[in-house]
Amino acid sequence: MSKNDRESCTLELRGMSRHFGPVKALDGLDLTVRPGELVALLGPSGCGKTTALRIVAGLEVATSGELLLNGERYNETPANHRDMGMVFQSYSLFPNLTVSENIDYGLRARKVDSDKRQKRVIEMLELVALESKAKSYPHQLSGGQQQRVALARALAIQPRVLLLDEPLSALDAQVRGQIREEIRRIQLDLGITTLFVTHDQEEAMAISDRVGVMSHGQLEQIDKPIVLYNSPATAFVATFVGLANRIPAEITAKGKAKVLNQKVNILESAEPFPEGSKVNVIIRPESLELVSESDDEATRGIVALKSFLGPMTKVGIAVEGAPLIHLNISSRDVRKLDIGDKISFRISSDEVMAERV
Amino acid sequence: MGTTASGEVEKLMKRFTLKWPLVITSSLLAFLIFIVPLYGAAVYSFKGNGGKGHSWVNYQWLIHQDGFYPSLLTSLKLAVLAAFLTLALMVPTMVYLNLKGQKYKSLVDFLCILPLIIPVVSLAIGAQVAMPKILQNSEYELVFFFVIIALPYTYRALDTSLQTVALKTLVEASRSLGASWTSTIMLVIVPAIRSGITGALFLTFALSIGEYTITSLLHWETFPTWTVVAAQQNILGAIAISVFSFVGAIALLSIIALLPKRNAQRVEVDE
Repeated sequence: MSKNDRESCTLELRGMSRHFGPVKALDGLDLTVRPGELVALLGPSGCGKTTALRIVAGLEVATSGELLLNGERYNETPANHRDMGMVFQSYSLFPNLTVSENIDYGLRARKVDSDKRQKRVIEMLELVALESKAKSYPHQLSGGQQQRVALARALAIQPRVLLLDEPLSALDAQVRGQIREEIRRIQLDLGITTLFVTHDQEEAMAISDRVGVMSHGQLEQIDKPIVLYNSPATAFVATFVGLANRIPAEITAKGKAKVLNQKVNILESAEPFPEGSKVNVIIRPESLELVSESDDEATRGIVALKSFLGPMTKVGIAVEGAPLIHLNISSRDVRKLDIGDKISFRISSDEVMAERV
Repeated sequence: MGTTASGEVEKLMKRFTLKWPLVITSSLLAFLIFIVPLYGAAVYSFKGNGGKGHSWVNYQWLIHQDGFYPSLLTSLKLAVLAAFLTLALMVPTMVYLNLKGQKYKSLVDFLCILPLIIPVVSLAIGAQVAMPKILQNSEYELVFFFVIIALPYTYRALDTSLQTVALKTLVEASRSLGASWTSTIMLVIVPAIRSGITGALFLTFALSIGEYTITSLLHWETFPTWTVVAAQQNILGAIAISVFSFVGAIALLSIIALLPKRNAQRVEVDE
């Protein structure tokens, strides 16, 4: 049974800007979400991701740019005629209505006939596994349950696009994981075009087809999560997505640098770094490996920090002339290491990214 | 754990012990200030002819006076109209102010206090002149005056209520689900601020039904103006009128106090 009879559509933002006085909350954003795709907009607070989502929903007016759904301009369409389902961070369930009535609300607004509405509400309750809570009021539900109702309510109207505005931020860690997977399952099941805004990279990477990293109102890079992680286009993306060490280095030749007394190859950049210039190289913790103390080319340091993360432990190494350098080591191996122990490590990556200081 | 629990109990006991004399004193004061005169008035209102015995004679006199029912009905009619006109004007205004018109809020705040500052005579005469001729010759002009004099109270009641709900996100959720502004106000906002609306409704009603000065200045007859005239004929009847009015007002306020406040309920649920 198809729970979303409406055909998935393409969502496009072209040169979308939103200025609040001198502040450019959104600065010429170009984004295309393909039919049935889940795209996450990821970025720090104030990067413009929520503004972009609100413009798509019709809750914010763009200063300039175009919003297109299947090629049709939607800029002037009021929010209540856009056919977009939105899930809010704060759930925003109507406190005076039961779970069923909340789900039914959008259908009533669309004047769908009673039988169809009832059937749809039951379908949605099954979809989010809340059949037993149909007659409950929002204040009688937990946070996770409320967010599932909010999702069901947004999907009940068979929206052309599903918009998720940090829907997991108000939930505790365990529930967040469950709801995250549920959102993805339902999105894949319905094949609905989805734009998901979050500041949590783990969330974005876990459930998105593509992730767009935003900074200062612009899209820095948009790609599959694995590409973003392994081949970040900019230093900002490299440091924002995943954990990265930013270590001072010196360019020794074209495409080569010396960092922590080790020689590394630098990834090509649009503007090559002149010889002798000071740069920061960006190295992920997993690109550093422990070696024996007899390795002459290794960098030596002292264990300054150990953070247990389950199967892995993040180890902070104090090295002279460099900020604290982080490595991820198997928790089984790390038992041999204590704070204050001497340690040797090497950069195992073939190429690293560099940025101007 | 046990120590903490017993400590908490001790604290509560101490607080209770400290509060107890205060509760007794304030209750006694309330009793003396409010209850004794009212009790006295109630007792007198049941005095029989010549001040002897107990009977309903004064209340019977009251309800058989010419103008009792017409004036009471006029007051009720005008009060109901004023209450609903207040809501029709104030609910959308307050919603707008809280959603999009924050910058105008201090101005409206000030305007709504004016009825408390402007002398009633100036208000009555000045506002009447400004009214359309058709209203100047109708008792319905009082409805607009009642709305004005209730403004300071209705504004506060609605504003406080709107502050307690996540108005912006509720409206956005409703709009994104396809609801019009009218549906959003009627189906989402009004139920969410029901306690504030009920408060505003009853406050306007109570103020309107008891309003004397403006009505008297504009020479209309409502229940309060009628009672003043009627009370001059029979002193015990006048006391019966006071008790009747007071009990009516108390009944209205009790209804407000006893209304269920569902939005205030919060139930903790385990995940």
